[in-house]
Amino acid sequence: MSDISVSGRRLTPQMKAGLGIFARYATILGLFAMILVFSLLSPKAFPTLGNFTNVLNQASLAMIIAGGLTLAVIVGELDLSIGFAASLHGIIVTGLIVHDKLPIPVAVVIVVALGALIGLVNGFIVTKIKVNSVIATLGVGTILTGFAFAYSSGVPIVAGVPEAFLQLSLGRWLFGIPNNIVVMVVVLGALWTLVERTSLGQEIQAVGGNAAAARLAGIDVDRIKILGFVVSGMCAALTGILLASRLGSGTASAADSYLLTAFAAVFLGSATLRDGEFHVLGTFVGALIIAFGFNGLNIFGAPTFSQYVFQGAILIVAVGLSSLGRSLAES
Amino acid sequence: MTDTTIISPMTGTPTASPFIVARHIAKAFGGAQALKDVSIDLLPGEVHGLVGANGAGKSTMIRILAGLNHPDAGSIEIDGQTTNVANAQAAAAMGMSFIHQELAFVPGMTVLQNIMLGVPKPSRLGLTDWSAIAREVAPIAKRVGITAPLNASVKGLSTAENWLINICRALVRKSRLIVMDEPTASLSASESEKLFTIIRDLSRSGVTVLYVSHRLDEILDLCDRVSVFRDGRSVDEFSRAGLTRQKLVESIVGKGLDETVKPVRAEMSREVVLDVADISRLPRVKSVSFALHRGEVLGIGGLVGAGRTELARLIYGADRPDGGSMTLSGKAFRPKSPSAAVKAGLGLVPEERRAEGLVLSKSVLFNLGLANLDSLVSGKFVPLLSRKRQAHMATETIKALAIKTQGMDQPVGRLSGGNQQKVVIGRWLRREPDVLILDEPTRGVDIGARGEIHKLIRQLAQSGMAVLVISSEPDELPDLCDRVLVMAEGSVVRELSGDKLSRNAIVEASYEVTKQGVPA
Repeated sequence: MSDISVSGRRLTPQMKAGLGIFARYATILGLFAMILVFSLLSPKAFPTLGNFTNVLNQASLAMIIAGGLTLAVIVGELDLSIGFAASLHGIIVTGLIVHDKLPIPVAVVIVVALGALIGLVNGFIVTKIKVNSVIATLGVGTILTGFAFAYSSGVPIVAGVPEAFLQLSLGRWLFGIPNNIVVMVVVLGALWTLVERTSLGQEIQAVGGNAAAARLAGIDVDRIKILGFVVSGMCAALTGILLASRLGSGTASAADSYLLTAFAAVFLGSATLRDGEFHVLGTFVGALIIAFGFNGLNIFGAPTFSQYVFQGAILIVAVGLSSLGRSLAES
Repeated sequence: MTDTTIISPMTGTPTASPFIVARHIAKAFGGAQALKDVSIDLLPGEVHGLVGANGAGKSTMIRILAGLNHPDAGSIEIDGQTTNVANAQAAAAMGMSFIHQELAFVPGMTVLQNIMLGVPKPSRLGLTDWSAIAREVAPIAKRVGITAPLNASVKGLSTAENWLINICRALVRKSRLIVMDEPTASLSASESEKLFTIIRDLSRSGVTVLYVSHRLDEILDLCDRVSVFRDGRSVDEFSRAGLTRQKLVESIVGKGLDETVKPVRAEMSREVVLDVADISRLPRVKSVSFALHRGEVLGIGGLVGAGRTELARLIYGADRPDGGSMTLSGKAFRPKSPSAAVKAGLGLVPEERRAEGLVLSKSVLFNLGLANLDSLVSGKFVPLLSRKRQAHMATETIKALAIKTQGMDQPVGRLSGGNQQKVVIGRWLRREPDVLILDEPTRGVDIGARGEIHKLIRQLAQSGMAVLVISSEPDELPDLCDRVLVMAEGSVVRELSGDKLSRNAIVEASYEVTKQGVPA
């Protein structure tokens, strides 16, 4: 036995601590590095207040839907229905306004309530019927896509969209700040407060951290998980509404791609400042990185295919950083 | 006896050259120095005991041998050659096998497949030759006492049989060292005896066994030599001759042990808090009835598998009974879930504190707060957590229970077992439930912390709580409890109190029924 020589990799505590710090701050460093590089390469177009506002404005929709997804993943579940749901919400809100002539606020409230209902259904299937959340939400999402095509007969609702509805997303009602950004700040602020500063938030974190222990400590685990899905569903509805307003139309599968962006943001976020734990502020940083990345690609006129490559790569990097953080925290 | 062939009884010096020599091992995790200076020799064919309080460094030393952690300083020699155990595969290749408290096996596989997990298998034409493997494994399985057929599914096998499968795997691998971590923690007395026979047989055939346990009687009975760790250092090495329990305990604690003070019993109230009538959940709990009084510590003794934890889960609403009824403070009590039970005034300290008690990645403060969230918020319109109230609650509880932590924000997973247990108990202090159920409150907890936990349980009862303590250690209950119910095969077979309450009476009652094989 003694003749076996092993040249193992050995990390000193200093190296490990250093790696831990690297994992925690890598995303933020990456963000600043990206901004710096783009600024140097394109000093006229990139580092301007106008462009930064534009990036944040564009990113707001992804940040809202990703913020909701953050709640679902904190309670330990995945919600794959959000992109499909947001597409459906976009169609329904336009339909309610254009076809049913409902006042815009009423249509918005109805659609957000519908989002909550979809979350409730997801949560019910996962907690009471005990279907794995990946399967449950994928199934629900696919059904929603069916509904979207049925409702719109496959044709985008374009004609008759009132200017007032467009202003929901395009307007700057508060101190000249784009509405999307205001909504995003309010939503993420509320979510952050909920998770980090309320007793309900402690229960949410406990359920995600150890559901068995949370249950025996007297927490109603199913209720908390359902809540996670409901919040996720409501945020998907908001994103769907704002996207329809921005596009000026309700289009089936318009918001589908937000699913990937939201997951990438959430996982990048879990590697930010904490060791692989999901949190709202992290999701914000994650979404910002993705937004600046796309913005840079656009400014430099990168071909379309590179955007897909960027999107896929960032998702893998995000999950990789997240699990690196977790394994360092455990060792 | 093997000890005479390996250790000279006159001098206590080894007569064979050691298999493994570890010298001056040190290891830190973050800021915590888990190992400061540990040295240990393992001789071929000896049963070497390893004891020490929780947090003394036993687990860390084992993880280093297993290649799961790497030492910051010190050296490890195997057969006289300095080596570096890089990872688990390297440890296996060097002839070391590790069997842990939490055994893992693949439920869908057969006994044989589980034995061969991770072991290189012979193949014929590229296909694994299971019949050849079975021929080779069968005699080894028989030797370690596996009675289940090799092609049977492992589903439904007991913890004891699981241990045997793991030992069998170690032998198939031709391991020269088998490390066993708390092997008897969840075995019955007769299963433990069987295991000891197998360990002695292994030792005779030249396999070294490193035996880690809190159960000192087993250590004294089984081991040729015993190493004692304290506070990250190897402080003593004893050979069996002349070793006594008292000596071991003194070495573990590091100072003269106080005489155990018999707790003063307050005048017990006759007020019934929890009344359980004919409650059942077949086949594990059969028609159990008892009354729990205010200010009382009621013990539930019996063997592992007697249905005690299952009874606690029924009372706590984690499972639903299929018969019987309960009242809590005179009112009908039928909890639909643990959260309903907690609202009604119950608390539970579960058996598996890591899996069921704590969110390991979260702070001490977070974990203490889990049962008290309503009391930690302030603000009229938006109920926000008050950091001040949280900090006050945490500081008070940490002080009251003498929880050893670097601070309230330290992740609870970094605490030692005893301190983790105090956190789970501490969660309920402020909530002051009418009934507190503690399932194996001192399992895997060192002697010092155990005494503190016992004192705390008595205090809680004196303050008017009704306390139910489940324990598999008959030694634990007589001093701690006012009354003890002994369960066997799902039923309460004996109630012991006053002069009748003793360790021996509990043990006797636990076995009486199983001997007859018929539950009362």
